[in-house]
Amino acid sequence: MSLVLRIALILVSFLVLVFVLKKIRRTQLYIDDAIYWIVFSFLLFVISIFPQIAIFAADLLGIQSPANFVFLFMIFVVLIKLFNLAIDLSVQKHRLNRLVQKLALMEKDEKEQ
Amino acid sequence: MKKENQSRVLVIIPAYNEAENIERVVDDLIENYPQYDYVIVNDGSRDDTLEICRRKHYNYIDMPINVGLTDGVQTGMMYAYKHGYEYALQFDGDGQHDPQYIETMLDAMSDCDICVASRFVEQKKPGGMRMLGSNIIQLTLKLTTRKNIKDPTSGMRMFNRVTMKAMAEHADYGPEPDTLAHLIRSGAVVKEVQVEMRERIAGESYLNLSRSIKYMLHMCFSIMFIQWCRKKIDLHGGDGK
Repeated sequence: MSLVLRIALILVSFLVLVFVLKKIRRTQLYIDDAIYWIVFSFLLFVISIFPQIAIFAADLLGIQSPANFVFLFMIFVVLIKLFNLAIDLSVQKHRLNRLVQKLALMEKDEKEQ
Repeated sequence: MKKENQSRVLVIIPAYNEAENIERVVDDLIENYPQYDYVIVNDGSRDDTLEICRRKHYNYIDMPINVGLTDGVQTGMMYAYKHGYEYALQFDGDGQHDPQYIETMLDAMSDCDICVASRFVEQKKPGGMRMLGSNIIQLTLKLTTRKNIKDPTSGMRMFNRVTMKAMAEHADYGPEPDTLAHLIRSGAVVKEVQVEMRERIAGESYLNLSRSIKYMLHMCFSIMFIQWCRKKIDLHGGDGK
């Protein structure tokens, strides 16, 4: 892993952290949802400080360049987040529909009384 | 919105699937402590909680869908604030909390903003795994606020008008120790009074081992890394009082 990549990773993880904390400060992001991003930026930070982790893991998986392992790792982590977001979205759809149904039934009841 | 001969205190009882307990808890309040008003927040229970509330003509708010403890309690806080109550008490619907201590808490409210019904003011906290989580949360609170809250996870807390308003208005203010930390940092005075708590009589506790660990980690993380960067709110400067 080149020094430039490492510095870039440190910068990115730091920026992610600052951005997330700023959003929490303005309560645009719930603490529950923020934890993922804080842990994510922390992991990036750790990998850039200790590239041995990436070198070891790349070796283990038979990946030629440690940088490729970092990309693979990030894609994987982002995919998990994407999947969780898809689930969250489905839950939200369901809850919204429930809410609208209940409201409609309540209005109907009121009319009939 | 104040009713005539309204109590100074509103007991907020969040209830999620508490059909086995709610009758006993609320009947005890009505019969033995008629001096306090109460409101049940039925959080989309899937059992008979709602039917019981209807049948017994309890004072209840029915959430159309399950919103979780945070928003359930917040609804109660909004109700308390809107109706002009001086104090709002967060009170469990499972019978763990004993209403005889409400009076003690009320007395304590004269010189604090939040009163926590604590099991360990005078009594020593038992050691072992069961209290490990509580101890760790106590430590993180002490490190970040320099305030020693001996029973931070106690779910029986009384809020005055100022802190009730904060609880009612802001998003992400769960009725949990991390919000306590945030309010202390915003200048709220917290006091603990000694109480006894009962074991729950019926139904299963929400907290099992893995949930307890998750809860504890979440609280510590939130108190140590997130609360300090949260914007402090202006508790005593506004029109809360």
